[in-house]
Amino acid sequence: MLSFLLLINLSSYAQTSTDKFKIGMLKGLEELQKANQPDEFLKTANYFERVAQAESKQWLPAYYAAYANLMTGLMGSDKKVQDQYFDKALQQIVQADALAANNSEILALKGYIQFMKMSIDPQARLSLMAESSASLGKAKALNPDNPRIYLINGQNIFYTPEAFGGGKAKAKPILENAVAKFAIFKAATDLDPIWGAERAKTLLAQCK
Amino acid sequence: MKALLITLSLSLIILLAHAQTTISGILTTKKGNPLAKANLSIKNSYDGTTTDNNGRFSFTTTETGNHILQFSAFNYETDSIRIELKNTPVTVNFSLKEAVNELETVGISAGYIIAGDGKKGAVLTSLDIATTAGANADIFAAQQTMPGTQAAFSENGLFVRGGTAAETKTYFDGMLVKSPFNATVPDQASRGRLSAFLFKGTSFSSGGYSAQYGQALSSALILESKDLPEKTTTGISLLTVGTGIDQNIRFKNSAFTIGGYYYNLKPIYHIIKQENEYVKAPEQLGANIHYKWKTSASGMFKVYAAYSATKLAVFRKDADHPDSAVYFSNHNSNVYINSTYKEYLGNQWKIEAGFSYNRDKDQGILTADDYTRQDHLSQGKITLTNYFGRLSDWKTGAETFNTGRRESLNGQYRSYQDQLSAAFAESDLFLTSKLVLRLGGRAEYSSYLANYNLAPRTSIGIKTGGTAQVSFAYGRFFQNPEDEYLVLQKLNYERADHYILKYEINPNERNFRIEGYYKNYRQLTREESGKLNNSGSGYAKGFEVFWKDKKSIRNADYYISYSFLDTRRIFRDFPVMATPSFAAKHTATAVYKHFINSLQTQVGGTYSFASGRPYVNPNSTIYLSDRTKNYNSLSLTLSHLTHILGQFTVLYVNANNVTGFQNIYGYQYSSDGMNRRAIVPGAKRDLIVGLLMTIGDNTFVR
Repeated sequence: MLSFLLLINLSSYAQTSTDKFKIGMLKGLEELQKANQPDEFLKTANYFERVAQAESKQWLPAYYAAYANLMTGLMGSDKKVQDQYFDKALQQIVQADALAANNSEILALKGYIQFMKMSIDPQARLSLMAESSASLGKAKALNPDNPRIYLINGQNIFYTPEAFGGGKAKAKPILENAVAKFAIFKAATDLDPIWGAERAKTLLAQCK
Repeated sequence: MKALLITLSLSLIILLAHAQTTISGILTTKKGNPLAKANLSIKNSYDGTTTDNNGRFSFTTTETGNHILQFSAFNYETDSIRIELKNTPVTVNFSLKEAVNELETVGISAGYIIAGDGKKGAVLTSLDIATTAGANADIFAAQQTMPGTQAAFSENGLFVRGGTAAETKTYFDGMLVKSPFNATVPDQASRGRLSAFLFKGTSFSSGGYSAQYGQALSSALILESKDLPEKTTTGISLLTVGTGIDQNIRFKNSAFTIGGYYYNLKPIYHIIKQENEYVKAPEQLGANIHYKWKTSASGMFKVYAAYSATKLAVFRKDADHPDSAVYFSNHNSNVYINSTYKEYLGNQWKIEAGFSYNRDKDQGILTADDYTRQDHLSQGKITLTNYFGRLSDWKTGAETFNTGRRESLNGQYRSYQDQLSAAFAESDLFLTSKLVLRLGGRAEYSSYLANYNLAPRTSIGIKTGGTAQVSFAYGRFFQNPEDEYLVLQKLNYERADHYILKYEINPNERNFRIEGYYKNYRQLTREESGKLNNSGSGYAKGFEVFWKDKKSIRNADYYISYSFLDTRRIFRDFPVMATPSFAAKHTATAVYKHFINSLQTQVGGTYSFASGRPYVNPNSTIYLSDRTKNYNSLSLTLSHLTHILGQFTVLYVNANNVTGFQNIYGYQYSSDGMNRRAIVPGAKRDLIVGLLMTIGDNTFVR
C-alpha cells in the first residue's frame, strides 16, 4: 500500500510544473556535463533552448542555452559560423538577464561571450573588449565570490596579447584566485552554475 | 495485494510508455538540400531534437492532441506546422525558406565601396584610417587609396571620377560640412579638419548616391560619429608636429568630451627641407567639445562644436618672378557646430533632425594686397523614415541651407547670400531578398539662382547567387557653382548624370568588385572673354577594380585598387574640350597592413601610382596636351603598442615617399610662356613620429 501511495504520489509530484522543470534541467545538465564535441554541445544548446521557450519565466534554461552555444562556437573553425553561435549565445544571455536582473552568473557569462565576439574581428570590435570588462565588473560587484568571474577574466587576459595589457604573467594571479574561489564555492541549488573549476586549473597550469 | 500493485504500477508505466508518439522525417532547404543542426521543438514542451548531417530527425514525445512543431536553423526562417499526436508514428518532411540575412541580402551598392563589414559597409573605420601608411590618420588622405579617387597632393579635396574637388561633399551625421579642410598655401594640400577618431565609420560613394545628399556632383563622403564611449578616459598625443589632449567623461546615459590641441610645424620644417620658404610655419590652436546623450533605449542626441585658429606666412616661388618669391600670408579661424537627434517611434518610424553651422574666415596678404574671405553655412534638416515589409523602407525629408561668401581685396568688398531649400523622398523596395529597387528624387530651390532643380535617382540590386551581386544606378545631380564664381554673379546649377554598373562578390573576409561608369556633365560654369556662363559640359567614363583580402595572410590584410579614367570637359577658362589637369588616366594603389604579435607592432605600407597628368603648356598648339611623368609613392607606417608609466601607449611612425621619388604634379608657366616652375610636393619626403597615450583603459581610445 505504501509503495502504491508512493507511486501515486511520485507520479502526481512529477506532474507539478516545478518538478518537471527540475527533472528536465537535470537531464540537460547531465548531457552538458558529458558533452565534449561541438555536435553534443549544439544538441544540449538546442535542448535548453526548447526548455527556455516552454519555461518563459526561468532564467536558467536560457543561461545554459547561451553557455552551450558559446561552447559550440568556441569549437568551430569558420569565423562566420562561430560568430553566429556567439550571436545566439549573446541573445540568450540577454534574455536570461531580462528574466533575472542583477545576477552575477548571467553577467559573468555575458562578459565571456562579449570577449569571444570581439576575438572574431578584434580590430573592428575593440569596443566589445570594454563591454566585456564592464559586464565582468558588474558581476563582481554583485558577487565577488563567484569564481567564474575570475576564470573568465583570467582567461581573457591569458589570450589578450601582452601589448594590449594581457599575457600569461598577468593572467596567473587572477587564475590562482579563480582556483581558490572554486575550491570553496557552493552552488545555491543543484541547477545553479558550477562549471569552470577544471578549466581554471588547466589554464593556470599553462601559466607556469 | 502486492502483486496487484506491481501489476498496476507496471501497467501504468507501460501505459505511460505507450503514450508516446514518434515523430520523424527529413528537413531540407527549399532547394531540397538537407538542413543539418536545426532545432525542432513541440511548442511549449521540452520535446524535440536536432537534425543530423543528413537533415534527418526522429524523437518521441509524451504530448498528445494538437500541437505545433517548430523548426529553426541559422540562416533560415523559423517555421512551424500543426501536427496531431495520437500515439501513432508521425512522418514529417519539411523545408525551410532561406532567411533574409544582412550579409546575404542584396543591397544598394552601386557607387558605394563596401569592404565586407556588413550591408551598410563602413568602408574605413577610424583604426583603418590611422593604420593606412601615408595617410597620417587623415580621413581624406586615406580615401585616396580607394578606387575612383585621384592621388592629389597639390590641391585640397577628393577628386573623384573626373570631378573637381568641389564636386565631392563631406557630410557629418547627414549634415553638409562647408569647409572640411585646414587652411593651406596655394599648390599644397592640407589635412581635413575633422579627426578620424570622431567617427565610427566613413563610407565613401563615388556616384549614384541617395537623394538625401544634395549639392554634390561627383561624390559623397559620409561620416558617422561614434556613440557613447565606454569609459572615462584621457587621451594624450605627443607628435613631432604638436600635441593634443582629450578628456572623455562617461556618465550613465551620456558622455562629454573636451579636447584641445596645438600644432606648430616650425621644428619639423627645420629638419625636413620645404619647397617654400616659410616666414611663419603653419601654427594651429584648436579646441572641441562633444556631448552625447542617450535619451532613451533608441534615442540619441549629439552636439559637436569645434574652433580652430591657424596662422602661416610664406615666400613661394612663382614662374612670373623666377628671381623673387611671392609673399603669401593667411590667418584662418573656423567655427563648426553639428547637432543631431534621432529617435525611433515604435518599430516602424524613425525621426532624425539636425542643425549645423560652419563659419570659415581667412585674412592675409597676397603679394602686396590685403584680402579677406568669410564663408558661412547654416543648415537645418529633418528626415522621417518608415519601415515596412521585412526590409523595405521609405524616407522623406526637408532641409534648408543659408550660405554665402563675403570677400574683399584692399578694402573693396563683394558678397553673395543664398537660401537653398530642398525636399527629398526615397524608397528602398525589396521585391524579394534578392532584388531591391531604390526610387527617389530630390527637388531644390535656390533664392540666389532664383531657380528650381529636380533630380531623380534610382538604383537596382540583384543577388546573383551566393555572395555575388550586380547593381545598377542612375542619378541626376545638381550643385551650385563654386563660391568664387557666385560671388561675381548669379549663375545656374551645374549638372551631372551618373550611370553605374557594378559586379561584386564578397566571400568570407574577401571582397572583389568591378565597377564601370559613365558621367555626363552639363551646365558647367565657363569663363568666356571675361564673362561667366553655364555653357560648359563634359563627360567622364571608366572602370575600377578593387580587391580586399583579410584571409590569405595570417595577421595581415591588404587591398589593391585600380582605376581607369577617360574624361574631357570644357569649363572654367578652357578654350576647348580637354582632359583637366587633375585627371590621370591610370591610378593604382596597394595597401598592406600586418600585425606582428611577437613585436606587438603593426606595420603597413602603401604604394600609389598614377600615370602622367595633363598640364597647360602655352607653347603647345593643343591645349592641355602635355603630360607630366608618372607619379609614384611608397609610404610606410609602424605602430608599436606598449605601456609607458603603466598606461596604454601607441608609438607611431609614418614616413611618406620613403624611396624619394621626384614627383611633379604639373607646371606653372609664366605669362609670356618663357619660364616654367614645377609644382611639387611641400617636401620630397615627410616623417612624423608620435606617442599616443590612453589613461584609464587598456584599449586605444580617442
